[in-house]
Amino acid sequence: MTTPVKMVKVEVDGVAVEADSRDNLVEAARRAGKAIPYFCYHPRLSIAGQCRMCLVETADQPGRLQAGCQVKVKEGLKILTNTPAVKENQRGVMEFHLINHPVDCAICDQSGECKLQDYYMEYDHQPSRQRTYKLQKPKREELGPMVVYDAERCIMCTRCVRFMDEVAQEPQLAVVNRGDHSLIATFPGQPLDSNYSGNTVDICPVGALLNTDFRFKSRVWFVEKSPTVCNGCSNGCNTYVESRGTQLYRLLPRRNEEVNQVWMCDEGRLTYHETNEKRVEWARKGRGEAREDIGPALALDEARRLLAPLKGKPGLALWISAQCTVEEAQGAFDLGAQLGASKYLLGGKPAGKGDEFLVRADKNPNRRGVEMLAQAWGVKLEAGETEGALNGVSALVAARTDGLGLHLGALERIEAFIAIAQNEDPAAQLAQVVLPVNSLYEAGGTVVNYYGRLQRSWAAIVKPRGDAQPGWAWAGQLAESLGGARAVATVQAAFASAAAKAAPLTGLEFDAISEEGRVLPALLPTEFPKRAPRPESAPAAQPQA
Amino acid sequence: MTQKTQAAQAADTAPVALNPDPLELDDELPSAFSKVKLGPSHPATHGTVRLNMTLDGEKIVECIPEIGFLHRGFSKSSENATWHQVLPYTDRLNYVSPILNNVGYILAVEKLIGITDTERSKYLRVIGGEISRMCDHLTCVSAIGLEMGAMSAFLYGVEAREMLWDRVAEMTGARMTTSWTRIGGVATDTPPGWIERVKETLPRVLELTDELDKLFSKNRIFVDRTRGIGVIGADEAVSWGFTGPALRASGVDYDVRKAHPYLVYDRMEFEVPVGQRGDTFDRYLCRLEEIRQSARIVTQAIEQMPPGPIIIDDWRYALPPKKDVFTSIEGVMAHFKLIMEGIHVPAGEVYGFTEGSNGELGFHIVSNGAGKPYMIQVRAPGFPIVGALPRLLQGHSLGDLIPIFDSINMIGGEVEQ
Repeated sequence: MTTPVKMVKVEVDGVAVEADSRDNLVEAARRAGKAIPYFCYHPRLSIAGQCRMCLVETADQPGRLQAGCQVKVKEGLKILTNTPAVKENQRGVMEFHLINHPVDCAICDQSGECKLQDYYMEYDHQPSRQRTYKLQKPKREELGPMVVYDAERCIMCTRCVRFMDEVAQEPQLAVVNRGDHSLIATFPGQPLDSNYSGNTVDICPVGALLNTDFRFKSRVWFVEKSPTVCNGCSNGCNTYVESRGTQLYRLLPRRNEEVNQVWMCDEGRLTYHETNEKRVEWARKGRGEAREDIGPALALDEARRLLAPLKGKPGLALWISAQCTVEEAQGAFDLGAQLGASKYLLGGKPAGKGDEFLVRADKNPNRRGVEMLAQAWGVKLEAGETEGALNGVSALVAARTDGLGLHLGALERIEAFIAIAQNEDPAAQLAQVVLPVNSLYEAGGTVVNYYGRLQRSWAAIVKPRGDAQPGWAWAGQLAESLGGARAVATVQAAFASAAAKAAPLTGLEFDAISEEGRVLPALLPTEFPKRAPRPESAPAAQPQA
Repeated sequence: MTQKTQAAQAADTAPVALNPDPLELDDELPSAFSKVKLGPSHPATHGTVRLNMTLDGEKIVECIPEIGFLHRGFSKSSENATWHQVLPYTDRLNYVSPILNNVGYILAVEKLIGITDTERSKYLRVIGGEISRMCDHLTCVSAIGLEMGAMSAFLYGVEAREMLWDRVAEMTGARMTTSWTRIGGVATDTPPGWIERVKETLPRVLELTDELDKLFSKNRIFVDRTRGIGVIGADEAVSWGFTGPALRASGVDYDVRKAHPYLVYDRMEFEVPVGQRGDTFDRYLCRLEEIRQSARIVTQAIEQMPPGPIIIDDWRYALPPKKDVFTSIEGVMAHFKLIMEGIHVPAGEVYGFTEGSNGELGFHIVSNGAGKPYMIQVRAPGFPIVGALPRLLQGHSLGDLIPIFDSINMIGGEVEQ
């Protein structure tokens, strides 16, 4: 595992470069800034040598084409990626790959991010010489709940098969039949129902495996990519969210070796639906029939009118969801101090299933962050999910309503209930004042994952949705209207106020948090799930049997 | 930038005062310089330009041209368009002879890629370009007359121009916004019967050109108002950066088509008219003669033009035929990539130059290897000439302004980009 890295000198098309002795020719060429094309090779999977696209020559065996993915570098090796033989092979391989490929670009979701398209223009760019019919194969096989398979587009690179075997470690896919009749298939009665099946779509270099959730929803060049963090569980997988207008279209994993490598789970992929659907759009007051959308200014007024007389009275409680970002939690604690709240409850999504790889049982992205701030504010957080947690509460301010559904009966009896809510859940229906809040994907912010990694999400949507504002903005404005300090106006300022309060964040600046995030050493645990990626500073994983 | 003349500086500061110069004591009553702004939408300046003048009575003491009313951000827009999407922007440079701009731009891009178009396309580009040049010169020559009051002469010129523009429209689909060239060729071939119609059109155009010649060249009013007006010598014209008819009128025999032949100009027989005096009249004469020479070129090119493809058969640059796009995956991929990402022009920079209707039309192109230009700059032939306008107008009376301004043929589209 920890063999020392040996560097060797190689030459790629005359460019001298230092390569890791474990590199294959593709990786060595990449270091020299030269691209060797490949379909089946994937740096995180075993070598298959299926596609024959990466064949190059080396000076020690002139005239013999070698698979760039399979052959390792050695000291003094000269790699030639541009010889006539290499070029002719690339052209020929492309022609073979396209022989049975249907004329599908116009209806294919992969169009625009397809390796066949890229390599065709780069290495082939010649008309078809085929004069016979193309082979017809199954066009829409539902391999599982998230994956649809189009066998005609498949080039049999077997990346998906290898991924399921080696990374997901749930061997649910296999190659069946032979020659050009080969197919990717599941075993009878065993669908591709792994929680990691979506990754097979990502690593599919062509449009053969498609995500049912994204299929036919948008062309890929119409959506904007922004880096964010999945809010599906406390692992905080790094992702890109793709958006257009006020809608999000899909989540894709973003590389972070210490959090999620290049993968993410299927549950996480679907978390963006909460941003698109059943949203609280407008600031409002009143329940049921008396409900009235009144806009942010009047809604804040109404909240102040309800809360001002109760300031400092016993029975005033604050509900903080572990879905809140660091900035939102900071705003909520500040508001709590302003109100003189006597009780703080930590809510959140109910725990679910976890595994040894990427999925954590805690389905909230920022429990550690909220707990860190509670400690900084000297506040005792009570568990929100225990029965009777709201007993004795006469007024409640909720920073996000996750988990409040357990206490609907108690909520109905509460005199003043102000909810900063994202979705129209049963709890939000019972609030006297509802302030619509942006999701993590929309507004950005920071979260702290289960092992204490502070990670930033970049705002994906510039167009406002209804009256929605970030939670820290609502909390700050409400606190200000109740006589507190002037509300912060930017997420940078909101984070700065958290950093000034909580010791683990001391000296950090919002804009200085990189896409990789950073570990807060004070929060680092001693034990990690067995196969989970972990930071370098963490104890090394036990060697696997 | 324009050097303020001493007189103009004096005009800025000196109040109405007695002139202390004893030699000028015989002058008439002292008077102030008047400031007059001509344009930007004056009917006699056929470009959208404002001329800020300081007048001493009728005499132009100083004239500062103010350009930019037609600025469209050509360079910046080009950076956000694929290589072919830049083409419509080039139409709007010199909009009277758009094909010449199309050809100039595409030749520069092809130079950077290192490809040449097909043989037939070369001839088509020459034919289209020379027809455009005739249109441009006809417009300029007849507009000089129009703006001096010769309305009927203008109608002759425009009749000829419209006939040629009809031919252009038949071939390219548009009178002015042609966007006709493609990397590696041209968009459309000559339609059926087009060659015959051109052969019928050219003699009529030449007839009308002769008519213009007769109406102007020995016309007392015209000659009096143009001969010896707006004179600029050869050396000075060169140092100002003149090219094209304006330079040749000053006696410099420089034509890109002869000096650095491109396309098939080296196979054509034609003369480059060169003037002697560098005045408005010679600039007019040069343009008039170039119409005839362009007609010669078109006639020869039509005779020599071989049959064959009008665009190269390389799917990296040219769109595949529709038959392949609709029936083969190779075709649809090539089409998709060319349209969505654009042609991949190798990284590097190049200066491509051709003879536009007003002179050397240069494109400085920088590519970083992507489907869109990294940068495009235009050497618009009209720009340095407009820069010399204050110098050309110096000492002339206000009435000479319009003929001089017309004879340099400022085209707002290219000057202001």
